[in-house]
Amino acid sequence: MTFHDAAAREFPPYSTDACVKCNVCTTVCPVARVTDAFPGPKYVGPQAERFRGPDVGDASPDRTVDLCSGCGICTRACPHGVLIAETNNRARAAIVADRGSSFRNRLISDTDLMIRAGTPLAPLANFGLQNRMARWMGEKVLGVHRRGPLAKFSRTTFGSWWRRRGGLTALPSDAEPSKTIVYFHGCAVNGFEPDLGRDAVAILERNGFTVVVPRQECCGLPFISNGLYETARRKAGRNLSSLAAFARAGSRIVGTSTSCTHALKAEYREMLDLSDADATAVADATWDICELLVDLHDRGQLDVGFAPIVEPLPYHPPCQLKSHGIGTPAMDLFGLVPGLRAIDSDHDCCGAAGTYGLKVERWQIAQDVGAPLFAKVRASGAARAACDSETCRWQIESSTGVPTVHPITILAESYRRADAAREEPWRRIV
Amino acid sequence: MRPSQSARQSVPRADVVVIGAGLAGLSCAAELAEAGASVFVAAKGLATTHWTHGGLDVAAPAAARTSRDGIARLARTDGHPYSRLARDADAAVSRHLVRVGAAGLDHAGSLATALAPFPTAIGALRRAAIVPLAQAAALEPWRVTGLVLVGIRGFPDAWPEYAARNLENAAWPDGPSGIRAVEVAVPGVERLRNVGSQDLARLFDDPAWRGRALAAIAAALPPGDWRVGMPAVLGVEHHAAAHADAEAAFGRRVFEVPSLPPSVPGMRLFDALRRRILASAGRVQIGFDVVSVEREGRHVIAIHTEAASRTLRLAANAFVLATGGIAGAGIRALPDGGLVERVFGLPVVGPEQASWFSDDPLMPHPLEAAGIEVDEQLAPAGLENVRVIGSALAGMRYLDERCGDGVALASAHRAARSLGAPRAVAA
Repeated sequence: MTFHDAAAREFPPYSTDACVKCNVCTTVCPVARVTDAFPGPKYVGPQAERFRGPDVGDASPDRTVDLCSGCGICTRACPHGVLIAETNNRARAAIVADRGSSFRNRLISDTDLMIRAGTPLAPLANFGLQNRMARWMGEKVLGVHRRGPLAKFSRTTFGSWWRRRGGLTALPSDAEPSKTIVYFHGCAVNGFEPDLGRDAVAILERNGFTVVVPRQECCGLPFISNGLYETARRKAGRNLSSLAAFARAGSRIVGTSTSCTHALKAEYREMLDLSDADATAVADATWDICELLVDLHDRGQLDVGFAPIVEPLPYHPPCQLKSHGIGTPAMDLFGLVPGLRAIDSDHDCCGAAGTYGLKVERWQIAQDVGAPLFAKVRASGAARAACDSETCRWQIESSTGVPTVHPITILAESYRRADAAREEPWRRIV
Repeated sequence: MRPSQSARQSVPRADVVVIGAGLAGLSCAAELAEAGASVFVAAKGLATTHWTHGGLDVAAPAAARTSRDGIARLARTDGHPYSRLARDADAAVSRHLVRVGAAGLDHAGSLATALAPFPTAIGALRRAAIVPLAQAAALEPWRVTGLVLVGIRGFPDAWPEYAARNLENAAWPDGPSGIRAVEVAVPGVERLRNVGSQDLARLFDDPAWRGRALAAIAAALPPGDWRVGMPAVLGVEHHAAAHADAEAAFGRRVFEVPSLPPSVPGMRLFDALRRRILASAGRVQIGFDVVSVEREGRHVIAIHTEAASRTLRLAANAFVLATGGIAGAGIRALPDGGLVERVFGLPVVGPEQASWFSDDPLMPHPLEAAGIEVDEQLAPAGLENVRVIGSALAGMRYLDERCGDGVALASAHRAARSLGAPRAVAA
């Protein structure tokens, strides 16, 4: 590693010096592919960065950087290690710091607030989310596209289910930290998909772990993506102080959202400049749940008693998963389920990119980015699809009509079928 | 890299991990995967395919008449990769052409084809023999036929007027009877703010738009016996159809002139090879930068690629180093004059630092010859289950010798065979 690499890791924009202007990033950018308004990662990243600086404020030569969806594909394609997406994200934050943010962007970033407000009123809130008049109003007043993919509120949060269940919120004194998993459920599981959280807990417990769900809030990623670093830092700080002790004790922090886990692993450091001992301990201890299960399998410790699920399953590896740099562990796990024919979408991005696809002025871009994926999912004829990231699931589902689940949902179902077959052997012949 | 904890996630073990996704790495991976090996391609980023012209530079040193003749000449140069690989070139090139042809990318020419001048985007001439079908018309005898170079208004990366003037002044034996340039407005493009070659290529993928654009260009062509040189933007996914449609719409032979990076012909080549690897159950992962190596004596057990908070362990029986030379960033030059190979830390042979600097910035740089020395099996000193292929090999000056693609393919073929590919093919 050279000094340059080291410096770039501390401050991503330094890496733009290594750009040779080859335009490889432009060829892979899903946003530049569908809209002429976005000049592409090279222009808004390494080119424009030369005119930015700590004293320049938002004097960014080109505000089209705000059209970057943050998928990170450019960074991974760059042959010279330029951290393009990270540089773009910081440039957007500088613009927001200088010029402020819209009410809409603050609102759609604040998932904690939405869940606090929406859960007690779930039937009413869901009626509003389904109601065309209300969505039309939402578009005109707030700028949230009437067809933007929004999930339904759950009537109870995952957190309240965990409390009713009497689940652990702290390490018991007799706990063996290495066999204890801290589950970071994220906002999606908490407010919209608590069943996924219950499946994750069941799978972890089945494989011999004690699960702890300590105090946590939104990882802050929606704020990071919208350039609202100060709010994100506050949320990150509270999460880190809650999670760091577990990490230091040797427990792993596991999430079912590849977006949240990537925030804990990387974005706290790369965007928010949080690189103290707490942040490092948490980053090192954080695992995506499929990453963890494949690791267990490699060590011969995964319960592989999966019952058959005979169906084709289009699987879309989300951009945030790709940024983990761990390949596609869900595909490896699907291979353990007899009869399951998982098909990698081999498409770059679904378009949603967190809150990007909700915005009235971005919705069409997001749809165009995901269109080839939607066509593949529809053409597969499958009854459902799978994807590790929630906003991508909602985007695929709302754009294709094909129910889209987390890989964990499939695996938990397979385990349950195995249990049922044990209890009722006649089921095996069905 | 940040310090990582001991626990590391890994993917299922592969027979071979290929490091690098340029022509050498991808064709080696394809050959191994086609032979039944489980192959994992891990690349730091996309590579030189996206920068180069998409044809095959097999060997075209100054005096050579054909690529085969060029190989023989270069093979006599002490320390040149062809001194070892010459006998692999035939099989390697023909296998490659069959492979990418099966993925929809047909070529013209062979090692026996006479090298002929090919006009570049700036109106220089380079010598070529094996080119994608859409470039082949440039190499056919011109006799009384003229050349009309087409530009597209609003597309800043092709300059037909400039190229035409340069070509008129170039020594082009048996070249076109006349050279003209036309610039054509095609539907919608002038209104666009950002027009790269990949943008135009995607427009040409759309049959409806393509029909209108080709009609506009056809109307602007002069009457008479002309061949048409288009910027290399005739489609990505539906390239063959776009090229055929262009010839039909113009009623003339059409060839593509590769433009500045990004190279659309190179994107097609990358896509074709990647598709072949995936079709043989191989995996290709881009954005996987190797940060450390696990070895036991002379044996490499695993490489680790950088991941978000811990490294990813990739274990395999063998490893192929296809990370490129100094231009591909497989080799780095240090301020003190040292040269390092980035993945395994292999010793690099290359010119002394004093020769790195010259008054002529357009001369090929002596560092292009820097590389790794290997044995007959392409194994570097000290590592028995590693093979080095492509421009990471020492001893070639690929810009002058125009041999980079041939060496890439021949070395990929040799490495694949030495790692057991032919046995599986027979089975």
